[in-house]
Amino acid sequence: MSKIKEIINKVFLIEILKGMALTLSRLFTRPVTRQYPEERRPPAPGFRGLHALARRPDGTARCVGCGLCAAICPSECIHVYTSEGPDHQKIVEGYEIEVLRCVYCGLCVEACPFQAICLTEHYEYANYSRDDFYMTMDRLLENWDKYMAGQKGEEYFKRFWHPVSNDYREYEGQAVFDPERYKRRKGRLRNIRGEWMVTSPPNEGDKI
Amino acid sequence: MSFGGEVTVITEPVVWSLITAVVKSIILISVAMFHVAYATYFERKVIGHIQVRMGPMRVGPHGILQPIADLIKLFFKEDIIPHQADRPIFYFAPVISFVAAISSLSVIPFYRDWYVANINVGLLFILAMSSLGAYGIVMAGWASNSKYAFLGGLRSSSQVLSYEIAMGLSLVGVMIMAGSLNLREIVEAQTRYPYGMFAIPQILGLFVFLVAAFAETNRSPFDLPEAENELVAGYFVEYSGFRFALFYAAEYIAMIVMASLLTICYFGGWTLPPVVIEIMPFLSVIPGIVWFVLKVYFFIFLFYWVRATLPRYRYDQLMAIGWKVLIPLALLNIFITGTLKILDII
Repeated sequence: MSKIKEIINKVFLIEILKGMALTLSRLFTRPVTRQYPEERRPPAPGFRGLHALARRPDGTARCVGCGLCAAICPSECIHVYTSEGPDHQKIVEGYEIEVLRCVYCGLCVEACPFQAICLTEHYEYANYSRDDFYMTMDRLLENWDKYMAGQKGEEYFKRFWHPVSNDYREYEGQAVFDPERYKRRKGRLRNIRGEWMVTSPPNEGDKI
Repeated sequence: MSFGGEVTVITEPVVWSLITAVVKSIILISVAMFHVAYATYFERKVIGHIQVRMGPMRVGPHGILQPIADLIKLFFKEDIIPHQADRPIFYFAPVISFVAAISSLSVIPFYRDWYVANINVGLLFILAMSSLGAYGIVMAGWASNSKYAFLGGLRSSSQVLSYEIAMGLSLVGVMIMAGSLNLREIVEAQTRYPYGMFAIPQILGLFVFLVAAFAETNRSPFDLPEAENELVAGYFVEYSGFRFALFYAAEYIAMIVMASLLTICYFGGWTLPPVVIEIMPFLSVIPGIVWFVLKVYFFIFLFYWVRATLPRYRYDQLMAIGWKVLIPLALLNIFITGTLKILDII
């Protein structure tokens, strides 16, 4: 019986006809193509794109020049230059990122105790020269104004980056790890699609 | 004095027929070239959509001007000739391919009287021209002085020669049934049957012809002469600019010719089956050229459809199909058709 079936399959090219039916059905499906410059894909929440330096409400950079980001950076692409100002104050002279060397691991964001650096959702920054990818402090602050200013930056920061500083409380002028804060935060991690991973979303006014 | 008069009597119709032939040819070539340009566009679109892509989208709305952009690009491309190429042959090869392809169009009756030449061996002429096209391919492969081109040329020549036989034999059935080699008479012979096409009694021949047509035009799944992943582009690797375009056009014209031949020999050309006309008499109002063109477009679509479905055959498989399957099948078809003809059944 199966022999006869095989012969019939061969003579009438059943396999080929099946394939043709499949390709014909594909012909009438919607193409998956995105027409890129016109049709942009929205970045996933928490996307790690171009770097930015956060501003304080008064417009100055949050960065204090501690250099933790530069220390943790695996590709060593962050350079922080500081000097001593009047009253032994630490002044950030320069903060530079070689974007072409960055691996977008986000460790700098997590390391920063002041939530001063972040990765924005902006990813379309192709350019013609290497110099264009050398981010000086001014350009990094500019990026903040462009892509993260206002409510968005704050929310984005807290939801997706959970800087380590969030898990510490202040104790006699020194940060101390706070297990309560850590546990509270644990319940509100979002996954890459921006869905809450554990139980309930945070209540309004909840301090994250 | 009467001598002069005699000359005018003879030359006038000759000149007149020459002018009409030239005008017809120009119209035919321009229409054919337009079709070639848009056949490439149509192919990219069809294959794109089958692969759940969109195909060309940038030049004009939905990429409708893409062939024109391609043509302009080809015109302005640098004409590169390999250092040790055999120049005269290199120059001549694409011309042979193109001329052979486009001259087969001249005998195809698109509608009752729409043809350039109504010759009584039209079918043979087309077969001859399609074999002649192989010369262009072989010469291109030889003259390029490149191993890929050479392999492509060799493969193409053996493939075309093998399948030429199967194709010719499959058409013998049609010739027996129609009793003529004239393409117009073949179409008219089909209207004598209620189903109006030779595809039904000649189903075996149709199958052989269809497979042979794919091989003859070097289309997938028999596109070994231009297997991209083995031979870069096959026999025309070394060609660029307008010479390349000539080869490309020749391939597409050959495809159109094969689609037309299928339509004429097996699907009733510009006519509709008398059965259909009887059921829906209003269809006879539509001029036959519409049906012809629709049928041809369908077969061109079939070429693309098969290309999007089937992978390439191996070379030994190709030869095995040609010699061990198609030729015996075609001979069997001739035998059956001949027997039925003698017994006066068909």
